[in-house]
Amino acid sequence: MIEILADGVVKTFGRTRALDHVDLAVPSGALWGVVGADGAGKTTLFRCIAGLLRVDSGRVLPGRAGQARLGFAQQGFHLYPDLTVEENVGFIGSLYGLSRAAAAQSAGELLAFAALSDRRSSLAGELSGGMKQKLTLVCSLLHRPPVLLLDEPTTGVDPLSRLEFWDLVEHLRVGGSTVLLASAYFDEVERCDRVVYLAHGRVVATGTPSELRGGHASLEEAFLEMTP
Amino acid sequence: MTVTKPAAAGTEPGPPRVVLEARHPGWQRLGSMVRKEFIEIRRDRRTLALIVAVPVILLVIFGYAANFQVQHIPAEFAGHDSPLLRSALGTNGDFAVRLGVAADQAAAESDIQHGRVGVAVVVGADGRPARVLIDGSNLLTAMTAERELAPLQGASAGAAPPVSVDVLYNPSFSSTTFMTQVALVLTALGVVRERERGTIEQLMITPVRKLELMLGKTIPYLVIGLCDLVIVLLVSWALFNVPVRGSIPLLFGEALLFLTATLGMGLLISTVARTQLQAMQMSVFVQLPQLLLSGLIFPLAAMPWGVRWISYLLPLTYFVSVARGVLLKGIGPADLWPETIGLAILAVTYVSLAALRFRKTLD
Repeated sequence: MIEILADGVVKTFGRTRALDHVDLAVPSGALWGVVGADGAGKTTLFRCIAGLLRVDSGRVLPGRAGQARLGFAQQGFHLYPDLTVEENVGFIGSLYGLSRAAAAQSAGELLAFAALSDRRSSLAGELSGGMKQKLTLVCSLLHRPPVLLLDEPTTGVDPLSRLEFWDLVEHLRVGGSTVLLASAYFDEVERCDRVVYLAHGRVVATGTPSELRGGHASLEEAFLEMTP
Repeated sequence: MTVTKPAAAGTEPGPPRVVLEARHPGWQRLGSMVRKEFIEIRRDRRTLALIVAVPVILLVIFGYAANFQVQHIPAEFAGHDSPLLRSALGTNGDFAVRLGVAADQAAAESDIQHGRVGVAVVVGADGRPARVLIDGSNLLTAMTAERELAPLQGASAGAAPPVSVDVLYNPSFSSTTFMTQVALVLTALGVVRERERGTIEQLMITPVRKLELMLGKTIPYLVIGLCDLVIVLLVSWALFNVPVRGSIPLLFGEALLFLTATLGMGLLISTVARTQLQAMQMSVFVQLPQLLLSGLIFPLAAMPWGVRWISYLLPLTYFVSVARGVLLKGIGPADLWPETIGLAILAVTYVSLAALRFRKTLD
């Protein structure tokens, strides 16, 4: 069953074509990565898939109609810096319509899962970059969505925190989540089942990391050769 | 930072799980939005100080310092006519004296209470002024009238007992309608601040509805606005001895409509502006006409129709009448229904327009 879909997606901003007939189809339970340089169209693609941007043509899943099944950890920090970790989690949980008891249970489990339990009372704005990303992930998981979009979750995060974050993603995959993750780091997407290489709004290549690497020493080298 | 093994046994967040839903998710979302706004306001000490201090400072400034000249103040004689006085009052254009003469002082007071005239001169059978009544509920009209009529006291001195000049309804010329201007700016910043900080993107991905978001942004400032009204009334009473002659529940009911309409304007600005700076500039653009065209400073009657229509789009225009009527004249709902309907229409219109304009997409 296909959980995440972009089928011939075109999106333009004024005269700029941000996405040019992008196709991808992520089956249930898979972990796919989208890699590309800054401005390649990764964030636009994720926003279209999440229904935050309307596509000019083409089809997306889950889209706006399927937002209830979706957890979306967007690029950067989009939570409330003046609220504590617990207040942020409680607020987002209640917006998803969770009962107070369910929200508390979900928050407790997820904060423990993300090793943030001892920072419950800290203001979100005072957390480190890695902790902010983990809090963003926690908030996107509160309603236990089966589908996850993670837009550059490790950008600007120190290497140790990146490792921690990937441990969390691995656990989600083992738990059965379908995950599409964007990254600017070529080495990171080696962990994915399949990788989509995006450049100038177009899909340049799709395949498993080993398929895409071919005879090259790394994915980075392979992609540099493919870059139009 | 140390690398920690994240998931303790049994805590893996594997989907899907049964999640208990709230019984009334819409009300819960609205309640959460309101709670979140209050927490943010509480932690922003400067904004909190602004909310409390600015209305009081403005009240004091306007109560003590403002001074403008008003012309064509509607005036009448009561008891008897006086061609000499009529000519004297009509020469410099400060007064527009009615042709008819009110029967007595009580009739003149009633005319002032219902806003038919701003000044009444009670004339004795000998043609001399015996008493001057001034509608004190309009700050500038009253100040001008009192100043211009002062010579009457001297003119009658010696030949007859001095003329008594009584300013009715508002002896200290204060006004209580400034508290909303701060709330308007803060509401105008509401959605824009979410947009600038990127938190709007987090909200958009949740099931929160547009109206819940709009009301969640408005309700805290409605509560704050009503608290400001209490503060302003207390300060007015303490500094200027302004009494509340009418019904306090009626005043707060009208204030609720007024605040909703004003904050609706703020929300509308918030959906148009892209940055907080733009929102501030647009707020000033709305506030200036509110202060200048609402009848608060300059009487509506003195405005040409070319600009007067703008006044009727401004909530303050209606609330100025309400505040003067309830606070200072003690009039009831029977006399205020046009203002009440005007405020209700503006409240529904501005909040609806804001909700319609707000899109849960980023393009």
